[in-house]
Formats: sequence, C-alpha cells, structure tokens
Amino acid sequence: MLLSILPQVLVDGLTLGFMYAVVALGYTMVYGILEFINFAHGEIFMVGAFVGTEVLLITDAIGGLEGMNPYVALLMTLVITMILTGALGVGIERLAYRPLRGAPRLVPLISAIGVSFLLQDIVRFAEAIARNEFYLNTPVLFTGTVSVFGIATIPIKGLVVIVLAIVLMIALTLFIGKTKWGIAMRAVAQDPSTASLMTINVDKVIMLTFLIGSSLGGATGVLFAQNYGTIDPYIGFILGMKAFTAAVLGGIGNLRGAMVGGVLLGMLESLAGAYMGPLTNQAFGAEYKDVFAFSILILVLLFKPEGLFGEAVKEKV
Amino acid sequence: MANLVWKSFKGIPLYVTLIWIAVFSLLLHFLDKSVLSFLGILSSIVLLYFTNTSNKIKLAIGALVLIVIIPLVAGENRYYMEVASQVGIYVAMALGLNIVVGFAGLLDLGYVAFFAAGAYAYAIFSTSQANEFIAGNLFPLTGDWFWPFLIVGLIVAAIFGILLGLPVLRVKGDYLAIVTLGFGEIIRIVFNNLDKPINITNGPQGITPIPAPELFGLKMGTPFYFYFIVLFVIAFIVLANIRFEHSRLGRAWIAVREDELAAQSMGISLLNTKLAAFATGASFAGVVGVIFAAKQTFIDPTSFTLMESIGILVMVILGGSGSIPGVILGAAFVTLLQVQLLKEFSNFLHSLQQSGIINLPNQLDPSKFQRLVFGIMLIFVALYRPNGLIPAKRKTNDLGAIKSSPFSSGKLGILSKLSQSSSTKQS
Amino acid sequence: MAILEAVGLTKRFGGLVANQDVSIKIEKGSITAVIGPNGAGKTTFFNMITGFYEPDEGEILLGGKNIKGLRPDQIATRGITRTFQNIRLFKQMTALENVMVGTHSRLSAGLLGILFHTKRVREEEEKARVEAYQLLEYVGIEHIANEAAGSLPYGLQRRLEIARALATNPQIILLDEPAAGMNPRETVEMTEFIRLLKKELDLTIILIEHDMKLVMGLSEYIHVLDYGRKIAEGTPEQIRNNPSVIEAYLGKSASEVS
Repeated sequence: MLLSILPQVLVDGLTLGFMYAVVALGYTMVYGILEFINFAHGEIFMVGAFVGTEVLLITDAIGGLEGMNPYVALLMTLVITMILTGALGVGIERLAYRPLRGAPRLVPLISAIGVSFLLQDIVRFAEAIARNEFYLNTPVLFTGTVSVFGIATIPIKGLVVIVLAIVLMIALTLFIGKTKWGIAMRAVAQDPSTASLMTINVDKVIMLTFLIGSSLGGATGVLFAQNYGTIDPYIGFILGMKAFTAAVLGGIGNLRGAMVGGVLLGMLESLAGAYMGPLTNQAFGAEYKDVFAFSILILVLLFKPEGLFGEAVKEKV
Repeated sequence: MANLVWKSFKGIPLYVTLIWIAVFSLLLHFLDKSVLSFLGILSSIVLLYFTNTSNKIKLAIGALVLIVIIPLVAGENRYYMEVASQVGIYVAMALGLNIVVGFAGLLDLGYVAFFAAGAYAYAIFSTSQANEFIAGNLFPLTGDWFWPFLIVGLIVAAIFGILLGLPVLRVKGDYLAIVTLGFGEIIRIVFNNLDKPINITNGPQGITPIPAPELFGLKMGTPFYFYFIVLFVIAFIVLANIRFEHSRLGRAWIAVREDELAAQSMGISLLNTKLAAFATGASFAGVVGVIFAAKQTFIDPTSFTLMESIGILVMVILGGSGSIPGVILGAAFVTLLQVQLLKEFSNFLHSLQQSGIINLPNQLDPSKFQRLVFGIMLIFVALYRPNGLIPAKRKTNDLGAIKSSPFSSGKLGILSKLSQSSSTKQS
Repeated sequence: MAILEAVGLTKRFGGLVANQDVSIKIEKGSITAVIGPNGAGKTTFFNMITGFYEPDEGEILLGGKNIKGLRPDQIATRGITRTFQNIRLFKQMTALENVMVGTHSRLSAGLLGILFHTKRVREEEEKARVEAYQLLEYVGIEHIANEAAGSLPYGLQRRLEIARALATNPQIILLDEPAAGMNPRETVEMTEFIRLLKKELDLTIILIEHDMKLVMGLSEYIHVLDYGRKIAEGTPEQIRNNPSVIEAYLGKSASEVS
C-alpha cells in the first residue's frame, strides 16, 4: 500500500521542488552579492502569482483565452509577470534597501520584513477593491494527465512546471556564465570594492540581480497558480521560507546549490507528508510537514552551515 | 538649525506637565467615555519623561498618575481599564524582547513562543485539561494558583528559552532571524496538533475556562484588577531592565551586539551571554503569558502567530531598540494604534457607510490594516529613524564619585603591580 | 623561561596555506615582534594564538599547558589578550564602559545577584568602575571617560583599546599593528608607552608591526614570516643582517630595513 503511492509522491515532490529551486535562486543571488536575506522575496513570488492570475482572468473576461493555444497563453502571462515583478524587485531595492547599504546589518533586514508585510496587504487591498475577495481561482490552462510507465500519472500542468523551471535555470546559468553582465555579477559577488575599481558599476549589477531574481520569483508565482489553482496573499511567506531553506541547504550564494537544494527539499517534504502519518501510526501526520522543513533548515545551519555545495568561509578578524 | 533648537531644549517645564495631567483628569472625569482625554492621561507619562525635573519627582508623579489618578477617573469604565491593561501587557512583552533584540542584538522573530509557553502553562493546569495526561483528577486548580504560576510561567518560559537557545544561538547573524522564525512556527504548529497522540494542548479547540486570579477569596477577573497586576509586573520588569543594563551582564550583552570578536577577546563567552539574554527575555514573556491567559479566560494557538512576534518587534524597533523609555513608548503607541485608533477610524468609516456616503468593501476595514501599518512602520523606522523615537543612551558615570570611592585609595587589577614596583623601589 | 610556545602551527584555508609549520617561543617579560611582508600570515598566527582560528596542526603551550582548541574567551581568561589591526571597540558604549567590559571574567555577578542588586554586586561594580577609570588614567585618556567610544579620534581609540585589553588582567598582550595610521610623533609616544607596559606591568608583549623603526627600536627578539613560513628569527641586529629577510623584503632597500 505504502509503495504503491510512491511514484505519485515523488512526482509531487519534484513539482514542488522545482518551484522551491527557482525561488531559492532569487534568495541566493541577492545573498551572494549583498550578504543580505531579502525577506520580501517570497512576497515577490506571491505578487507574481496574482499578476499572472489577473492577466489570465482579464484575458479571459475579454474573451481572449478562448481558442488561444494554452502554451501561448502561458508564455504571454509569464512575460508580462516577469517584467512587472522584475520592475517591482528593482523598485524595492532602490527605495527600501539601497539607502541602507552600510547601515548595521539588522537595519536592512528590518526594512525587508516591512516590505514583506506591506506587499501582503497591498495585494489584499487591491484584490478586495477590484474583486471584493482576495482568494482567487486561476484559470487553469492545462488539464490532462500523462502516464509514466504506467506507474504514475503526471498532470500536464506539473510537467509544465518542471520543464519551465529547468528552462529558466538553464537560461540563468548561461547568462551568469557567458555574458558580460553575468561575469560582472560574479565579480561583484566575490569582491565588490575590487570590482568597482575594475570600472564595474556595482549599483547596476545589484539592480540587475534584483531584476533577474524577482522576475524568476514572479514566474514561479505563475507556475504555482497554474499548479494549485487557488492563491491568496499569504502564500509567499511559507513558500519563501521553504525556498530560503533550500538555498541554505544547497549552500547560500551558490546557484547550483539552490537548484539541487530546492529539488531535494521538495522531495523530502513530499515524502514526509505522505509517510510520516502511516509510519507513526497517525500520531504525527502531514500537519507536521512544515515542522519537518524548518527542522531541516535548523539542522543544516547547525551542522553544515556552508550547505551541500558552499565553501566554508571564516569570518575576517 | 533644527539641531540647535533641540540642543537648547531643556525639557518641558514641570508646571506644563502638571496642568496637562490635571486638565485631562478632569476632562475624563466629567466627560464620560472621552477617548481623547483618556489618551491625554496616558500620554502624560511621555510628557513626564521629557519634563525638566529630577528623576525622583518624575517617578513620584508617574506613580501617582498610574496608581491613583487613572484608576480613580477611569476605573469604573471597563473599556478604558481593558485598553490600559492591554497596553501594559505589550509594554511588558516589549521590554522582555528589548533585552534580546535591543541589548544583545539578537533578532528574535519567534518571541511569541515564550509568551505561549507561559500562557499554556497556566491554562493547562488551571483547567481540567491537565487531567487528560495526569492521572488522579487533581485539576482544575483554583484562581489562588495564579500567583505561584507567575513564577512557574517564568521558569517554564526560561527553560524553553534555554532549550531553544542552545541550538539556535550557535547560528550566526541574519540566519538567527530566520531560525527563530522557524522555531516560533514550529511551536505554534506543535501546540496546534498536540491533541494527539496525548491530548496536552487540546489542539485548535483551545483551552477554557481559565480561572481569574483570586486573592483571599476575592475574585479578580475584571480589567480593573488586571490593570494593577500588569502594573506591578511592569514595575518589576522595568527595574530588572535598568539593573541588567548597567551590570556585568548588560555590558556583555551590548559588547556582543557591538562586536562579537572583540567581546570574546575580553573573556566573554558568546553562547552563555546570548543564552542569558534569551532566557531572561523569554522569562518575562512567560510571566506575561500567564496574565494573558487569566485575562482572556480562553487561549488557542491563533493568539501566538508570527504577527504577534512581528508586532512586538515593531514596538521595540519603533520606540528605540535598547532604550527602556523608548520601548515603553513604542509599545504603548503601537497597541493604542491597534486597539484604539484603527478601531475608532474603522467605526467612523462604518458610520459613513451606513449613512451611504461611501461604499467600503469589508476587506478595507481599517481594523484589518495591521500588516500594512506594521510594514510601513518598519520601513520608515529603518530608513529615517534607525535608532527609534527615543534612542538608547548610555549612562554617563559620575567621575567625581569614582574618584572619591573608597576603592580609589589603591591601584586595582593589573595596575596593582604599579604600586608593588614603586614600593619595592622605595624600600 | 618560555611563557608561550607555538609548536609547528599550520593553518590552511581551502588550498591556501596561511601558516606552515610555524614554531615560535616567547620569553616571559620580553617584547617580541612578528614581522613579514603583507599576506605573510602574521594576523593568522595571532588568530591561532588567541583562539579565533583553530590550527590544523601543531600545539600552543601557555606556561607549559596546551591551550589549542580553547575558545577565544577561554584563552582571554587564561591571560592572553589582544588588540586588533582595525580597532574593534564597542562603539556605542562610553570609553569607561569599554574598559569595564574587560573586567568581565573577573567579576562574578549572576542573573539573580544583579536582579536583587546585592551588596556584593554593588561593591564589585564600584570596584570595576574605579579600576576602569584608573586604566584610562594610566593610558592618559581619563578626560574622555564618558564619551562614546565610536566618536573618539583615532589615536585615542588605539589607547582605549589597549586600556580595555589591560582590564582583562593579562600576562601576555598581542598588539596587532599598534602604530598603524599614526604620525611619527605619535609613533614615538606609542613606542615609549609599550616599553612602559612591559616595565611597569610586567607584561609579555608580542606585536605585529610594519614600521621598521618601531620594530627595531623596541623589540628584543624578532620572528620573520614569509608566505606563511618562518624564515628567520633573532635579535634586531641579526635580523637586520639576515640575507633571506632582506630578500623577502626585496624592493625595499636594506637601509630601509635598518
């Protein structure tokens, strides 16, 4: 009985894991460059989910979705969402973080917590005014399922999530590795002051980091909405925490680590959710799956703070 | 220019403060239910802080206002006393968090867990809930047990603080914020689900009826009594804060906050020092938790969410992290904003809506503005007033007293070698 | 008698070997300098002695007892204290309080004692305050006792950092570039002051310094590091004439070294 659900559990874990992975990239990129936990990144993801849903709802309302190829519709939604959330990320950096560069470390973190709460309520207000409710149902573009070797069925929407997440990650890796700006980003991450001596515009690189990280976060929001169907302004908090855990698990500041960490965490969480209950005789069931994820975060920070792929760094004395 | 004016500002003359207190006391006495005059009396404490007079007089007037005048003119009004005790509860919590965040510089986003520990400690044992897992049908306890449970809550929360702190405090810097947040959520989820396999917390149904405090047969269930209980606890916590701040331990906390490496090379153990801060902060939250449980008569996990932790953090940061008067002001301001001002504003909008002037979706009710308000406050403070409304000030030591101290007669510490070498030279 | 002995200390950071098999003996009551070009591993050596880095190999003996693996605070309470290259004061605290922090491990007040403000705690506090003030007097900055440490001019911060280190009642004090950023007059004053510390307070002093005039004039014994290895040791006279030292400092003329 327990084994028969395993393929399904793994597929669910994979879908979830790839979403964690893409959001984790945003945390890890910002941390790599600014050594700062962008607390509001989870909310960027949430805004992405709402922007994407609104794009689809509005397109649908004017009759545009009917007859539109679902892949075209998704592409359109993704592009619009990524532009808007990217801009949002850049705006937040400009207004709420940049003035605080050089301030004691707690101060930008506090500002970020503030931004996070502000975004939740702004979205809630906007939806309350526009639609009189803030729990939205997303028009789902993909409905069918595919069978994998006859042992598990994957909904097409899940496959879309996995494929798109992989595409985004490959694109990012190419960008960082091959382009002039990607190299500049790596240089700033290693040593901002030397990089600026090499005539790299550090401000621009930081802007770019927020732009890319936030558009990736927004895109994940769209994928999330497609996969789960309903969204609310508070989805960003818990998913953000998990994605951050993934980034730490993989080694914060390390892109490959964030990807692997995300997938790993998604799988572990899915397994825990499915099997903890049966294994403990229902004493501790799926309701503890968030506890499980947080415990991983704490354990990693305690015993392997550099993560799976990170390098141990020693504080400068 | 503005700075110049500020520097020449010696404080508010004493008579202005006294007139203020008198006017608002009379207003509140004669105009029943005047929210403004009630706020006026509460703010007289702030005025008093800035008044140009000696600390002893300030203390005397402050005590007079809090112990005599407020109960006298507002005591019959349940609502005012309720608001005042709510303000007090948050002031006490914020002062506890101030030790962790303000003094030791540890950003704790799971502080409410300790509050929950205290509240559940009293709730479980003062109701029949404890019978679920302790044989012998010994419970519920009577309200007389409230008093010893203030200590029990303190100890339980302190133990919680140490148990959580032992792993958590090894984590560095920003990570601590995330880890404490995670731990706060874990505690809430656990409380929410510990109705099985053994029913300890009664899960999402919560625990009720929690008995009110009782003293020599007198039931103290009204806000009037809670006001005094809270006042007493605040007095204790303020005193503790002041004593800690200028002690061996307080200096170690601040040293760790300012520079961990330098603190270590001064012989300060990081883990012990941080644990002491965590446990002390937690124990205050535990005491307040017991009072909260008794006051509400019902608790469930929804009272102990992340929002509560953030709210208390806002109070500390807004008022002035590490500044005792600042934190008191911050806590009072934020609580009043939530329970009074937003509610008033919301009622006002409702009346407009009823008369058909505006159409307001339910979601835009200002009493639900909490996140927005907290968010804006945090950003604003971080950007424009990172040291808070009343920034922390280190005490200046009286150098004259040091020179005339009996210990000044000889050289101390390593300098005692000076007198040895000079005396050997002489001999 | 050697009060402090480092035996074969090695520290690696990833592929980089910051210290390789460094052995140094420090005589009680001596002034010893550790010199070497930038990046030679001098500060790494200090960090191992004071417990901030744990050596990958080797031992550190204080009075014959191994202190390797102890935490920095434990080493501080055993009598080794330090100042930092880039001055690390508790900026928001007053100068007096900074020095009082140094008395931490010799005070005993606990949570309850502080809470109840017992007579013992009050006396202990007063004593610590007096001691801190005396130390400020000793380094000549008692007039700024109530100023916030972060607002002091650079030279006074250096002195304050030394006063704070003295408050731990050390046997050995490690000074990491005590004259960095000072003008020639201040450097002379600092040299005199370090000499006074040794003479009056019976301290063993180890210093890292780039100012060769100060090093040669002040130290009784010198160890030279280059690329993480010890390449020479000896009296200033011996070091001055050591060919491998001159080579390590190549680019600087021999006259500058002298």
